[in-house]
Amino acid sequence: MRTLSELRSFYDKKLHPEIFVLEEKRKEVVVLVSAYSFVILLIGVIAFFFTLKIQNVHPKVPGYVAILTFVAISGAYYFLTRGYVSNFKDVVINPLVGFMDDSLIYQKSGFISESEFKSSQIFTHAINEYRGDDLIQGTIGKTKIKFSELCAKYVTHGKNRHEHTVFKGLFFIADFNKDFCKKTFVLPDRAEKMFGGFGTMLQKMNVSRPALVKLEDPEFEKLFAVYSDDPVESRYILSTSLIQRIVSFKKKSKREVYLSFIKSNVYIAIWYNRNLFEPRVFRTMLDFAPIQEYFEDLQLTIEIVDDLNLNTRIWSKQ
Amino acid sequence: MLVFIIIAVIGVLAFGMYNGLIGKKNDVEKSFGSIDVMLKKRYDLIPNLVAAVKQYMQHEAGTLTEITELRAKAVSGNLSSDEKVSLDNKITKTLGGIMVAVENYPDLKASQNFIQLQGSLNEVEEQISAARRAFNASVTDYNNAVEMFPTNIFASMMNYKRKAVFAVANEQERQNVNIGDAFNN
Repeated sequence: MRTLSELRSFYDKKLHPEIFVLEEKRKEVVVLVSAYSFVILLIGVIAFFFTLKIQNVHPKVPGYVAILTFVAISGAYYFLTRGYVSNFKDVVINPLVGFMDDSLIYQKSGFISESEFKSSQIFTHAINEYRGDDLIQGTIGKTKIKFSELCAKYVTHGKNRHEHTVFKGLFFIADFNKDFCKKTFVLPDRAEKMFGGFGTMLQKMNVSRPALVKLEDPEFEKLFAVYSDDPVESRYILSTSLIQRIVSFKKKSKREVYLSFIKSNVYIAIWYNRNLFEPRVFRTMLDFAPIQEYFEDLQLTIEIVDDLNLNTRIWSKQ
Repeated sequence: MLVFIIIAVIGVLAFGMYNGLIGKKNDVEKSFGSIDVMLKKRYDLIPNLVAAVKQYMQHEAGTLTEITELRAKAVSGNLSSDEKVSLDNKITKTLGGIMVAVENYPDLKASQNFIQLQGSLNEVEEQISAARRAFNASVTDYNNAVEMFPTNIFASMMNYKRKAVFAVANEQERQNVNIGDAFNN
């Protein structure tokens, strides 16, 4: 795996000259976005006070004007920065992915398909909105991997329209090093954390999942709840060493981590509240800090192969 | 009416506890059965292993005969649980010995046939270990029910006793050769 000092030298030699050119584009975009936003805001403010002053106007209209102004500014921001964002991904993220490992291929607009996301069965809620980007795929050692940023939501229409996020973050799929045919899920243990033994009872009654499997490691059990169709196969997959590796990975990532093992694949969902691999339009790109952040996000995911020891192929699956 | 409701609730709880105990006992038997299935898979691999290594390992002919005899004994049936456990421990030890001896035969170690067999053996060893862990988990669950109030009342009425979990028998076995480790380099 790459070190921070290697990244530093890669940044100085390869990325910095390219980013220097990109920085000029960024400044142009900032000027454009600021100008457009100012004009839209000005029109919005005038329209807002105008609708307040005139009589016989529905009391909700000023509110609509404010919302419309906000939408117009967001829309202008999106359209004006779109080209720059795409360019940034070609110039920064693509070479960075290649730097992490030669075998990895980056597709800025690609993402893990909805059918693959659903086949992981990690999130069981129906989804209305599904989008993603930054698909990275390749082979690390002997293990085929692919991952991308994803956002899955469902919408409810009560009095108002509400969006509920089912998942947001990085979704990772790898070819597991053992063959198996049943399903095993390793999910964050919320019920036991909140209610103790009563939580375990609730988990046992969870009809949307297979049977609860209690494993030997108390630290793992505090963090995760395991559900499986087959108690023996789940222990074959979750060997004592893999259990410890999952605990270490969870601690290292400092995030909510969900895993499922289905049809000899491992699916891992890592929750992020922020967008990944996106440029910050209003901040200079000549700074090393954002590059380091992209690097660390990539490394955390690519290192799953080593962290979970997926390249050890001492079983019949090669 | 209230008395009737109380009796009904107690009846339902008692029914649940009784069935729960039977379910736990059956889980123990089922998981014990799955260890047997995994051990059987290992027995099935032994003839293949012997066939694959015997032309290379002329000096280990004695060990190969020993493992073949142990296997024949294991599959013959009519063994008590203790005999079974001791036989399996012997098989584990002898298999480990063979796998270590393979280190002295580079041609054998590199042969595709052997590599595949070694993968299958590692897989079976890990499945046996998984089945034992599953057995221990169901025994612990059963023992908790047998000893904890109020299910212990039913357990004593049904003459259910504590069951023993699988444990490493002695220090020697604790140090037994792990087949997987022997080939990690």
